[in-house]
Amino acid sequence: MAFTPRGGRGGGPRGGGRGGRGGFSSRGGVGGGRGRGGGRGGGARGGRGGDRGGRGGSRGGRGGATGGARGGSKVIIEPHRHAGVFIARGKEDMLVTRNLTPGESVYGEKRIAVDVPASTPDGVPTKVEYRVWNPFRSKLAAGIMGGLDELYVAPGKKVLYLGAASGTSVSHVSDVVGPEGIVYAVEFSHRSGRDLITMAKKRPNIIPIIEDARHPQKYRMLVGMVDVVFADVAQPDQARIIALNSHMFLKDQGGVVISIKANCIDSTVDAETVFASEIQKLRKERVKPQEQLTLEPYERDHCIVVGKYLRSSN
Amino acid sequence: MSSGVQYLLFEEPTGYALFEVTLQPETIGSRLKEVQEAATDLAKFGKFVKLVSFAPFKGAAHALENANDVAEGTVNEHLKNLLELNLPKRSKKKKIVLGVSDLKLASGIKESMKGIECDTSEVVQDLLRGIRLHGTKLLKQLQEGDIERAQLGLGHAYSRSKVQFSVQKNDNHIIQAIALLDQLDKDVNTFSMRVREWYSWHFPELFKIVSDNYSYSKLILFIKDKISLNEGSLHDLAALVNDDAGIAQSIIDAARVSMGQDISEQDMSNVVTFAQKAVNLADYRKQLYGYLVEKMNTIAPNLSELIGEVVGARLISHAGSLTNLSKYPASTVQILGAEKALFRALKTKGNTPKYGLIYHSSYIGKAAQKNKGRISRFLANKCSIASRIDSFTDTPTTKFGEVLKKQVEERLNFYETGAPPTKNSDAMKAAIGATQELMDEN
Repeated sequence: MAFTPRGGRGGGPRGGGRGGRGGFSSRGGVGGGRGRGGGRGGGARGGRGGDRGGRGGSRGGRGGATGGARGGSKVIIEPHRHAGVFIARGKEDMLVTRNLTPGESVYGEKRIAVDVPASTPDGVPTKVEYRVWNPFRSKLAAGIMGGLDELYVAPGKKVLYLGAASGTSVSHVSDVVGPEGIVYAVEFSHRSGRDLITMAKKRPNIIPIIEDARHPQKYRMLVGMVDVVFADVAQPDQARIIALNSHMFLKDQGGVVISIKANCIDSTVDAETVFASEIQKLRKERVKPQEQLTLEPYERDHCIVVGKYLRSSN
Repeated sequence: MSSGVQYLLFEEPTGYALFEVTLQPETIGSRLKEVQEAATDLAKFGKFVKLVSFAPFKGAAHALENANDVAEGTVNEHLKNLLELNLPKRSKKKKIVLGVSDLKLASGIKESMKGIECDTSEVVQDLLRGIRLHGTKLLKQLQEGDIERAQLGLGHAYSRSKVQFSVQKNDNHIIQAIALLDQLDKDVNTFSMRVREWYSWHFPELFKIVSDNYSYSKLILFIKDKISLNEGSLHDLAALVNDDAGIAQSIIDAARVSMGQDISEQDMSNVVTFAQKAVNLADYRKQLYGYLVEKMNTIAPNLSELIGEVVGARLISHAGSLTNLSKYPASTVQILGAEKALFRALKTKGNTPKYGLIYHSSYIGKAAQKNKGRISRFLANKCSIASRIDSFTDTPTTKFGEVLKKQVEERLNFYETGAPPTKNSDAMKAAIGATQELMDEN
């Protein structure tokens, strides 16, 4: 497949913004040895109200819409090109995942319940609940909206998620992989790790690991072989971190999905140069890059890189 | 590598597994496609290794203990027992080569058990990858899904313990305290402004006479309705304004000719209630400041002595913990808190900032304009040293802080008058001597 950087969005809902600044613990994620400028975790990302843009059909002024989150009959759920991901078509289109724990929101996101007609003539119709996935808050969602060709994260897969933060995106990944899959969520900050553990308690397919992703040896007992490594660590040496983890835990021919924040790696040169050099580093570590996609308009100077781990190539 | 790896140690969430390498793997062409594919095929890989023994953990607590040891690279008793029982008796001629995942654990095993060589090469890593991939199928006792369940339980336990027994326990309180102190400063100010706005409808002249927020609120609590003031209250008033009878007298005079409106009792009681809140908040701020000073003096005595408790606390808060601060180079400490200016300068290739948080220490204010950068650099050096001493010492004293402080002062003096400062080696000798003395006394 041709390997060319692509840009722009691939349709879908737009609007909203990053929402307000998160809560008031202004320095959430810095608590433990993470470099400065990472700004991950804790309340650094948008807080409540971040999903303004995705409100969609829920507030349509329907009298029967209790709680404001019910899409009612107005919303139609369609499967996305990537298995496990869905699109809710209402007044606006939204990216959604099927909620693994119906009736609960993880971080105050909207839920949409849809009636599913019974599969057998005498069966009762069931309700299925979906959770709205905001691309302004999750880089993986932004990548899907941007039109990634291959996601690797799919139902039944095992995912090693580096840089899990409070577990907002992780919860959606756990929705996607479903009860048969496993998400190993690694996060170093104790502050956001606390939220991660709380979230993971309700989702048995998430294994929280509070440890430095630089030292995969430390958590080798807790992680099995995985199909995908997703990394959102925003560290200057992130290519090395990903390589170390891939060499230990990633299956041959497995997927690597990385979000790169140019400013965190080198703020003195322009973003394209940073992306190119990071991809070069990945190539050296036996990751064959397949796709590069900027996360405009959701994030500035970010890109997502999807690659394949080829253990056997020399 | 002459003999090749004979045994493999693999850490499962359920226990330690010891494998024997039955077929020596390819060492040269380990990255070839065929070799790698063989590892993914269970039928082929099963010929490479054979399970010798599996030592399960005796329960959740035992598993957690072992997980922590594995993370730290120490050899647990349980692991030692397994190795001693199952590895053949070592002879002088032939050494046993055990393949281990972690370099640190490897050296630990080598140290605690003589006659065992450890191997952590890529060939070993490849074999361990294979074992990890096939997991339960190689361990006959376990069933499908057992490992995942154990991972889940152990993962939760391990992560919980990490959060619960955090090493930076004490630093967190400093970080929270300094953040709260800043918040309180802001709040006390806004409260006082509001009190002033409100009370000034009744007695506008008072703020002209007493402009300090705290005394002002205290005065409101005492005066209440300005009509109640008379010559008899002079003594009590003076007590609230630092025993300054002149100010007290001018308050009484101003009250008599005040152009403020009269105020109803109900309105006044509300103003007073709010003034009381402002006073309470200011009192609490004082108390919190005391707490922070005390805390800093126990956790980072030298840093506090050198640069002051508040700036020291800010440095710790910015770094995330005292340990983190002590890991920073002095050049980073120097511009800590000036990241915005630094990155702007790096981007535009301009001049990088000379100081960040340490600007608020008294030394930089004392220096002449052209020396500010120099003293900032010097001070950052000393702060870095002080934080390292505080972070890693077993006997906390302020001796080093005192010496470092003197060095900074001498350096300031040197810039102004040219008086030569004490040699660093002499200063450090004095500090070490003083610490030694103190330790001998105890």
